[in-house]
Amino acid sequence: MASLIEMSNISKSFGGSLAVDRVSLALQPGSVHALMGENGAGKSTLMKILAGVHQPDSGEIFRNGQPIRFANPKEALDNGISTVFQELSLLPNLTIAENMFLGREPTTPSGRVDYRRMNAETRKALADLGLDLSPETLVSELSIAERQFVEIAHGIKADASVFILDEPTAALNSADVEVLNRHIRRLRDEGKAIVYISHRMEEIFQICDTVTVLKDGRLAGTKPLSEVTPASLIALMVGRELQDLFPPRGATAGDVVLQVDDFRIDAKGAPLSIRVCRGEIVALAGLEGQGQQKLLRALVGQFQPFSGTVRLKGEALSMPVPPGAGIRRLQAAGVAFIPEDRKEEGLFLTLPVAHNLAIGLHSRRPGLSLARNYARTIADTIRDLGIKAASPSVAANSLSGGNQQKVLLGRYLATKPEILLIEEPTRGVDVGAKSEIYRLLREFANGGGAVLVLSRETVELIGLCDRIYVMHDNTVVSELPAATATEHDILNAALSA
Amino acid sequence: MPEARPSAMTNPLARLASANRGRQGLWLVPLVLAVLLAIALTLRTSQFLTSENLLNLVAQAMPLTITAIGQLFVILVGGLDLSVGSVISFTTAVLALGAPGYVLVPAVFLLAALIGLTNGFAVTRLNVHPIIATLAMQYIVLGITRVLRPVAGGTVPDVVIASVSGSFLGLPMPVYWGIVVIILACKLLYGSRFGLHLFAIGGGMAAGTEDAARNFGIATKRNIMLAYVACSCFAALAGVFLAGRIVSGDPNVGLLFELDAITAVAIGGTQLSGGIGSLHGTIIGSVVLALLSNGMNLLNVSPFVQTVIKGGILLFVIGLQSRKKMGL
Repeated sequence: MASLIEMSNISKSFGGSLAVDRVSLALQPGSVHALMGENGAGKSTLMKILAGVHQPDSGEIFRNGQPIRFANPKEALDNGISTVFQELSLLPNLTIAENMFLGREPTTPSGRVDYRRMNAETRKALADLGLDLSPETLVSELSIAERQFVEIAHGIKADASVFILDEPTAALNSADVEVLNRHIRRLRDEGKAIVYISHRMEEIFQICDTVTVLKDGRLAGTKPLSEVTPASLIALMVGRELQDLFPPRGATAGDVVLQVDDFRIDAKGAPLSIRVCRGEIVALAGLEGQGQQKLLRALVGQFQPFSGTVRLKGEALSMPVPPGAGIRRLQAAGVAFIPEDRKEEGLFLTLPVAHNLAIGLHSRRPGLSLARNYARTIADTIRDLGIKAASPSVAANSLSGGNQQKVLLGRYLATKPEILLIEEPTRGVDVGAKSEIYRLLREFANGGGAVLVLSRETVELIGLCDRIYVMHDNTVVSELPAATATEHDILNAALSA
Repeated sequence: MPEARPSAMTNPLARLASANRGRQGLWLVPLVLAVLLAIALTLRTSQFLTSENLLNLVAQAMPLTITAIGQLFVILVGGLDLSVGSVISFTTAVLALGAPGYVLVPAVFLLAALIGLTNGFAVTRLNVHPIIATLAMQYIVLGITRVLRPVAGGTVPDVVIASVSGSFLGLPMPVYWGIVVIILACKLLYGSRFGLHLFAIGGGMAAGTEDAARNFGIATKRNIMLAYVACSCFAALAGVFLAGRIVSGDPNVGLLFELDAITAVAIGGTQLSGGIGSLHGTIIGSVVLALLSNGMNLLNVSPFVQTVIKGGILLFVIGLQSRKKMGL
């Protein structure tokens, strides 16, 4: 059968890192095509290219054999490609009807926007989808599920032939998923091509015909769904060899320094318990946005959890931790928190490396005390961590990603903490720096420190850590010893919940 | 239920009053305030509820209302225009240059459009913050105005004077000005694609998704530029009205108008983050300010104390409004 859309040898890089590497994908009319892969495998980037959000660095897109290229999502929609993204793309302060027709509003002969026609046609489009909504409802008043249905109606209204659904069920309850599946089948029966990105195995097997798996931005394989099993799919998604990046694990764990009990991230989340001991590196794993970050940030007051108790070195921490003073208070108790985004949340990019390193030391002292000279500590940290900077006075943003990350790590290690809470320790750094950061973290643990780490990279967690908590739906669903855990186990635990 | 109301949406005026109330901001608070002020003034003074004073009130409120409506366009797209006060003074100065009306009147609008275009260019193309871009323009235009006319003086064309001070069919001219301005603004904001696109752009800005409107194929930058042009042209219109009232050019007549205009818009429930606001709210906001100054003049309150009270009211009304009402 002729393909409706063919993406051929698409590549796209952001900064230095290749997000999509020579991927080809063909969409058939009347089929539901699943797109799978681990977090960061390039699924969303590939679909954003098809939707006109990003432009490919190389490669071509064909529609019915004709090459096409989109400068923006509007052009893609005009060419029949409609997308329901995870993030918000409707305008909250406009009505459903206004969103439906935005950019191509009908006008009356006198040049006025023809609201009567817009509302009538929107009402009909919504009714076709079985939605009982007034076209004059503001989008800000809709639930997430209703917004997604409105986006689908938007695509139908624009006469799209390709529908991209990027994790459409992530925020839906099972009744809404059923409704969504019904709409997807109907679109398929009308001869549309649907791309379905999801992590939920059962949905994939329920609704899809073909599956394409991406791995590290490359195509791992495209197969008819009748030829795969959940196990073989997971194998396809993982299939990578562990590199020799990681330091040997520590000997034995000491006493418990961080104990979290009966912890509920939100009112709906099941209670969870975790503990971290001296000499141990413990991981929070799972698919993106399953509560790992909320748990970690709740400990330093950057997120307000529903309930729970936290004990630091045996002493109860009063919960909730205040957002303003939390980090300072925890720092005084020997806890350092290293945020995920070093550029936005971590470093002062335009300030010298020395300032960036010393700020953690300064912040532990009373507000109006005279600044101490930390030159010796700074020099020691730069040497111990192997930070490659021309001098301590160069600006942080002149360093490479790996060295920036080491500066951030060094800032907190210089305060001699006992517990390290760290998010994405090696985000956007090269392999060499990765291995050095792993070594630094292991040395810290071997020196009696405790580390709680969160990462999207499962391989990293397996190689680096001693124990792994797998999270799903705002709770811990599994605890695995890292020495024997495989990516397969973790993905399985994260998916099957 | 949805079948019951499709007819309400047919004309812009009906749209203004009904539907999507969440997008109009909280204009009920200032409306109540305006009514209470009017009642209090009626009870406390004998002069307030006279036709003479009320017509005077319309004339007093008109320049501010016109300027505030212009400001609304810019604020809806998350911007701000501090140059409108200078544009008003500049307009009166140009009108007093002594050339015939059919030259000067089109000229002031052309010049205002040029100023607005420059503001819009600086904001959208050079990515200068609206406060800085329009503050710079405020100085530039004020300087040019003072070069043209260092002190008040000159005479403005008769046609301008007649359009403001005469009366027609028994009603004084300012009433017609009000009607025309409201119809024009209503048409632009609620009756055209331009108006809808301004709301869309502002909604995206306020929600932190600047690209949302662009993704729908809206020419974001061009529309923002046009909002600044509209704002400047409304300011010029206010300048023409004022020139007709003072019958001369005055480099100081527009002083602080930009702040009063922003105050009126904010009191009217429009959110400065963009996307939420309304024309009637802005008009109500201007009326509140006009009632305040008219009433306090009648009650012989010192102008210095008036300023204090104006600031207090602004803080009070904005404090009552929940600023995070919409979206996220």
